[in-house]
Amino acid sequence: METLNEWAFVGVFFAIAWVFPALPIIGAWLVRPKKPNALKKQTYESGVETVGDTWVQFRVQYYIYGLVFLIFDVEMIFLFPWAVAYERLDWFAYGAGFLFIFLLTDALIYAWRKRALEWV
Amino acid sequence: MTSCVDFINTLSPCLVRAGWNADLANLLSLLLGVVIVATVPLLTVILLIWIERKFAARIQDRIGPNRVGPYGLLQSLADALKMLTKEDITPSGADRILFNLAPIITFATVVLIWAIVPFTPLHIGADLSIGILYFVAVGSIGAVKVMIGGWSSNNKYALLGAFRTIALIVSYEVPMILALLVPVLMAGSMGMQDLTRAQGGMWFIVMSPLAAIIFFVANLAETGRSPFDLLEAESELIAGYNIEYSGFKFGMFMAGEFMHVFTVAVLTAVLFLGGWWGPFVDQVPALGFIWLGLKTAVVYLFMLLIRNTVPRFRIDQVMNINWKFMVPLSIVLILLQSFLLRLIDALGLRPAPELANDLLANLPQTLVLLAGNLVLGAIFMHLLQRHGRTLREADEALAVVKGEAAPAGGMAEA
Amino acid sequence: MDVVADKTQLDISASVELLRERWPDAISHDNRDGFSGIIVDPAQLDDVALAMRDELGFDYLSSVTGVDYLGVADHMEVVYHAYRTSGGPALVFKAQTGRDDPRVPSLVSVWPGADFQEREAYDLYGIHFEGHPDLRRILLWDGFDGHPLRKDWQEAYYEEEHKPFDSRWPGGQVYRAEEKNVFGKNVKYPDDFDLGRLNDVSESDLYQGLGLGVDVQALDSDGLRTDRLVVNLGPHHPSTHGVFRMVVTLDGETIASLDPVMGYLHRNHEKIGERNSFLHNLPFTDRLDYISSMSNNLGYALAVEQLLSQGARYSPPTYRAECLRVLMVELTRIVNHLWSLGFLLNDLGAFFTPMLYANNEREKILDFFEATAGSRLMCNYMRFAGVYRDIPERIRSVANLVNDKVRDYNTMDYLTEMVNERLPRFLDEYDTLLTRNEILRERTVGVGVLLPEDAIALSTCGPLLRASGVPYDVRRADPYSIYPELDFDIPIGKNGDIYDRFLVRFQEMRESVRILRQILPRLERSQGEEVMSKVAHTPRVPVGEAYGRVENPKGELGYYVVSEGDPKGPQNPWRYHVRAPSFINLTALGPMCVGHKVADVVTILGSIDIVLGETDR
Repeated sequence: METLNEWAFVGVFFAIAWVFPALPIIGAWLVRPKKPNALKKQTYESGVETVGDTWVQFRVQYYIYGLVFLIFDVEMIFLFPWAVAYERLDWFAYGAGFLFIFLLTDALIYAWRKRALEWV
Repeated sequence: MTSCVDFINTLSPCLVRAGWNADLANLLSLLLGVVIVATVPLLTVILLIWIERKFAARIQDRIGPNRVGPYGLLQSLADALKMLTKEDITPSGADRILFNLAPIITFATVVLIWAIVPFTPLHIGADLSIGILYFVAVGSIGAVKVMIGGWSSNNKYALLGAFRTIALIVSYEVPMILALLVPVLMAGSMGMQDLTRAQGGMWFIVMSPLAAIIFFVANLAETGRSPFDLLEAESELIAGYNIEYSGFKFGMFMAGEFMHVFTVAVLTAVLFLGGWWGPFVDQVPALGFIWLGLKTAVVYLFMLLIRNTVPRFRIDQVMNINWKFMVPLSIVLILLQSFLLRLIDALGLRPAPELANDLLANLPQTLVLLAGNLVLGAIFMHLLQRHGRTLREADEALAVVKGEAAPAGGMAEA
Repeated sequence: MDVVADKTQLDISASVELLRERWPDAISHDNRDGFSGIIVDPAQLDDVALAMRDELGFDYLSSVTGVDYLGVADHMEVVYHAYRTSGGPALVFKAQTGRDDPRVPSLVSVWPGADFQEREAYDLYGIHFEGHPDLRRILLWDGFDGHPLRKDWQEAYYEEEHKPFDSRWPGGQVYRAEEKNVFGKNVKYPDDFDLGRLNDVSESDLYQGLGLGVDVQALDSDGLRTDRLVVNLGPHHPSTHGVFRMVVTLDGETIASLDPVMGYLHRNHEKIGERNSFLHNLPFTDRLDYISSMSNNLGYALAVEQLLSQGARYSPPTYRAECLRVLMVELTRIVNHLWSLGFLLNDLGAFFTPMLYANNEREKILDFFEATAGSRLMCNYMRFAGVYRDIPERIRSVANLVNDKVRDYNTMDYLTEMVNERLPRFLDEYDTLLTRNEILRERTVGVGVLLPEDAIALSTCGPLLRASGVPYDVRRADPYSIYPELDFDIPIGKNGDIYDRFLVRFQEMRESVRILRQILPRLERSQGEEVMSKVAHTPRVPVGEAYGRVENPKGELGYYVVSEGDPKGPQNPWRYHVRAPSFINLTALGPMCVGHKVADVVTILGSIDIVLGETDR
């Protein structure tokens, strides 16, 4: 019951948190002037017209960063239960955690050597 | 038993006794709790903007806002009022739904973090057993909002800002999470109240300064503050991802950013500076709110100091610092910290549970951990220095002054 | 004169003789009254220029400009000033061409620094430089009708040649020609006018001209298709130091190509200069590099004084006037470098703090300018044969508030304290705060490297040139005023990167303080001397040409002034050309940026230190 109530709080919080920023924006929508024209609605590019498409196929390097992050993020989440139960772990579980971290390090070294961490 | 929900829950039996429907009373008290917790950051942000501007002004030898209200205190309100009445322009090429969604997400995600901030020993929005994971999860939405804002604007600067975000915010999450593992290791829990309570004897910043520093620096990057303010990079990308926003939507981005910084300061205080711990907090729990506020202020002002004094890194340098320095460091730190904790147990240095809040009893294990951290820090700094030196040795040089003797003086013009 | 084995040591007349021996038909002396140098047949210009550069050592082309001699002689002239980086006077050579279809071979292949200047001459005179790699308009827009500096070009609204324009005030009535024009009033669009449909082709022409097209694609090393992004940095951008524009093609965040576009602030300063009288132009020079107006004044005054000294009734500036000039110019150098360093740090992302610290000190110097010249920025202080007035007895310093009150000081005490204590103290403090900053060095060391040979070839000047390791400073190489008797060093860099430019500027401020320390006792000694020699208020300047150049804080500022027409001595310059350091230094921007990141572009631009008032003129 206790914990459920906590989660109910978070649930309500999730529902309400959107209201806080949305309210002033809606309020502003009511009071602000609305006089759009084509020139105003142009994309800003230092005062000159934009040339070419903005939504281009950009470099793959960004994607690689995303991938590396994903791998790390997911793997690290597994470390949290290990850390929480740390005091109660026997030496075997402790060693397993170490091994896991070593695997993580290995992935980092691999990515490093593959030059996946070089910015372009 | 120790959360805000329960605190207000005493309200609901009262209401039931007064003839209310039990479910309705429950819901009402829940809503009240939510509103109270969410209003705290909202009110502080108005003050924060004033503090930030005044502080920056003092650093820069200026006076800062001083026209609206006493000491310019009402400046933020005046700004908010102004922004309310500003025309809001959506560029014609933008993706309207996402474009409007981004500022709302920005603000909402920061507010959401406050659900798990323990204000006093008794007051917390929701004392989740996985508080830290909640913070990480909600905080990650921050990257999404920047991406949405930058992409949907259909603007090239915004897009470049968004590009950088994918890399920067997302990358710095790795050392941040690894640094968060350290308090979890030491407290044996992911709940925020448990983490705070575990610091009764000694703050985690003393027991693991490296983790505190990594967490702080990673959060500087997450919030996009100098020297990691590449998302906005005013001198390069003008305003980065929020360049096309105007009116109150821009205001939301601004307020969200200020609040994010403050939230991060609060979390640093909670996780590493002992949260609400302070003198007399056992007798008067409400005092915890003040202690937490003071510690937060210290962290926050330190962040302002950094913001106003250092130049910005370049994106490739930022990424190098993260992946090639902070991530390896935090991985080694985890290994070291867990090993040292085992060692402390084996040596019997860990204080008895009833002495957990005693400073002296905590001293032996603190010293061991601190020493380990310092040694590790020194090794890594040395490696960094040596690397930097070899990189620059070739091209680092001071300007050579070519002394050219003046011809015989005193040849006055006719 | 004995035979000098090394031809790069020959003096000007010997060099000219050598060239004339080689090309007797193509080279002749410029024998017009008041003119100097040689006239080269355009057909042989390439070879002669090559010989000048390689054999005679004139490796530095300072100025290229055109002159239209309509009415005097029926030709156009391109005037070149070449120097040796080892120092010494100019080798002036000219190429003459007909007015109808003016054609001169381009010297970009000999001196790449001629690039922008030839484009400018093409833009304003319509002179075609054959062989120029990219001969487009540079200051005016592509659709501009005509070439405004040609003498037969008529400007809209202005019916007459010279100021004051009678037609604008007929019978004392104020009347402006533009009022009769529909665009003179605030623009009001017709009802069915839709800005969205407005179609301007000059932009797309520009992109195509730059070879950027709309869909630029490239295959990266892995064979993956990625689009390149064409981004405009500027004209309305916080870090372009004005309305300067860079069209950048990005591959990820790396610069694939960069092309500077300028002219957004163009007002044809030189055309205005031709219509003003000689004296009228003095306040206009303030508006060139508005950060350092004092130095601009000096350059122009020197050029006109060269002409005036040919005629009667002229006496050179007194010693005190020269001291005051150097005082002002060196203070200006400090002002400018403080400004540029502050903004460089801003470009690096430091949140205004270094800039405001520097500005603090700058304001105190401006207080002195205000007390002396009457204005903080547009000083208009120098005059022909002197300065406007002596320094005042007392000075009110608004930048030194004591308990929120403005105090006044004895001026000499104020200066002495500033030069001996405040400025050195501030420079030391600034040095401590910035020079060893790790992030600053990380961002600047090895970025934007300009090799010395490139720096010379691209005609760069000032701190940019010296940071590349070329000890070329006009104050030493071609001295003027009382600089020969002053003791100062020329700081030079080693690597030619941004960090070196930063250090060179820093050191130059220190050298300026050193000069100021020598000036103050000279001022004390010359107390009471006149500061303005006798010269007519509206001087009739003898016919002739002059090139006056000074070491401005931003680099070599040159004024090429031609006095022609009225044999009694005209009141207006026939030609008034400004060799703007900011403009020519930008030639090096593109080569320096390619391969670096977006963030570096603004830093490199900041390290060049441009001012758009001067770049666009």
